[in-house]
Amino acid sequence: MKKIINNPNDVVSECLKGIELAHPELKYTPELEVISRRNPSPGKVGIVSGGGSGHEPAHAGYVGKGMLDAAVAGNMFSSPSPDRIIAGIQEASGGAGVLLVIKNYSGDIMNFEMAAEMAEMEDIQVKHVIVRDDVAVPDSTYSTGRRGIAGTVFVHKIAGAKAESGGTLDQVQAVAQKTCDNLRSMAMAMSPCTLPAVGKPGFSLGDDEIEIGMGIHGEPGVARTTIKPAKEIAQILLDKILDDYDFGGSEVALMVNGLGGTPLMELYILNNEVGQLLAAKGIKVYKTLVGNYMTAIEMTGCSLTLLKLDDELKALLDAPCDTPALKI
Amino acid sequence: MGFALTASDYAQWIARAYQKIHENGDYITSLDAATGDGDHWINLNMGFEKLVSIKDALASKSLFEAFKSISMTMMSVIGGSGGVLYGSAYMEAAKAVKDLEVLDSAALCNVLAAMLDGIMKRGKSQPGMKTMIDALNPAVECYKDCIARGESEAQTLKLVKKAAEEGALSTKDMEAVRGRAYYQADRGVGHLDPGAITMFYQIETLMDYIADKMQDEA
Repeated sequence: MKKIINNPNDVVSECLKGIELAHPELKYTPELEVISRRNPSPGKVGIVSGGGSGHEPAHAGYVGKGMLDAAVAGNMFSSPSPDRIIAGIQEASGGAGVLLVIKNYSGDIMNFEMAAEMAEMEDIQVKHVIVRDDVAVPDSTYSTGRRGIAGTVFVHKIAGAKAESGGTLDQVQAVAQKTCDNLRSMAMAMSPCTLPAVGKPGFSLGDDEIEIGMGIHGEPGVARTTIKPAKEIAQILLDKILDDYDFGGSEVALMVNGLGGTPLMELYILNNEVGQLLAAKGIKVYKTLVGNYMTAIEMTGCSLTLLKLDDELKALLDAPCDTPALKI
Repeated sequence: MGFALTASDYAQWIARAYQKIHENGDYITSLDAATGDGDHWINLNMGFEKLVSIKDALASKSLFEAFKSISMTMMSVIGGSGGVLYGSAYMEAAKAVKDLEVLDSAALCNVLAAMLDGIMKRGKSQPGMKTMIDALNPAVECYKDCIARGESEAQTLKLVKKAAEEGALSTKDMEAVRGRAYYQADRGVGHLDPGAITMFYQIETLMDYIADKMQDEA
């Protein structure tokens, strides 16, 4: 294992301290591993997300004006505990309620729900949405139902914009739910990732082997096959998404996401292929994001995400946001 | 006269449960390596180690405050899914003892039932899914039966312990419905669930602690 770390037990806190140093507008809460806005817009609905660490820039990288008010980090690939989540809720609470954006993993759901119940005992109104964008498998190692992956970033963006524009908690939840309902993703992995405390890869893939549909913690996908040209990878991932949901004739937001170890050059090559395939199907790409938005430590591979847009979602997607990992 | 447990008793039990869990580390981890992530014992041991370190503070609290404090500690130290499940168990236990100064046998039965309820509700799980519920649920059922038929307290403690052990051992033949074991070809059949075994340890040490206390007082 070669990693730029000190003690494996300190990777989460040291990463978040590094974020705070680089972005003085963000505040790090030690021990509770929360990154929050120093000066959130007053009186608005708070948006909180989080989950296991190892998916950087998610989730702390999306804290800032127009997106999250607080991100709560668990240990590597492990849900944050309710005490941490409550701290995030308290940081984000401006009196108008708090929306939790949760990825669909059993540990995350149990911990966020418990935190929500406890925050409500302190008279903070809390609602949540659960992101289940990964079409690969119906159930998975750590989830009942579909997993939440890169599409979560679109939910952060749209919920954050709605909250920034003065939406009520119900309105913010409704538009976040609409985003979840119109969101589909599919991933592919080419090499494994190594948890710092474990020191060796969590699974293995042959030199010329890829796994279609693998999760962002290395959970099993749908098939292993040999590496293929970008054109075919685009086709495989997109077919699975388009088989699952009718995007025909619609306008979409597209994310070509890297899992941490894949160069941007390859992601742009993939985007070129995806763009052509979508055009051929009469699906218009309204906005494209290409980059490492939801990673699995140093895993190589990618995911594609499509979000079907209407006028409301377009306007919220175009609204300004200023965070370390996304600026619009 | 029957037994009456205070927060101080619970604090003393924690030390016993920790010892039992601690000395079975290799065994539990070997069970976990067969079906799970391999970190169950590390995390639970860490949780109990922390509880032992705050045991004097727990002993001086009311049962309600002590259970709440155990809940928060378990959630933050154990973390992940296990932490919040134990946290939910003790939070429900706290609610069940809100106005009680001591636990008699019926109240202890209620506490265990509340913990079971907390775990099942939080985990959206049922008996038979090859989890810690499969040790706790038979113990609770047995406890309720013993009370209903007027079994002596000493005998009840023995029977509850036995029910928990048999329940934990019954996970060997169960198919996993949750977690990593579900994705193995055999769904974990043929392997004991480590979470059920550590739950049995906790019930076992609690029943033994109460039996010893009763003997000391007799």
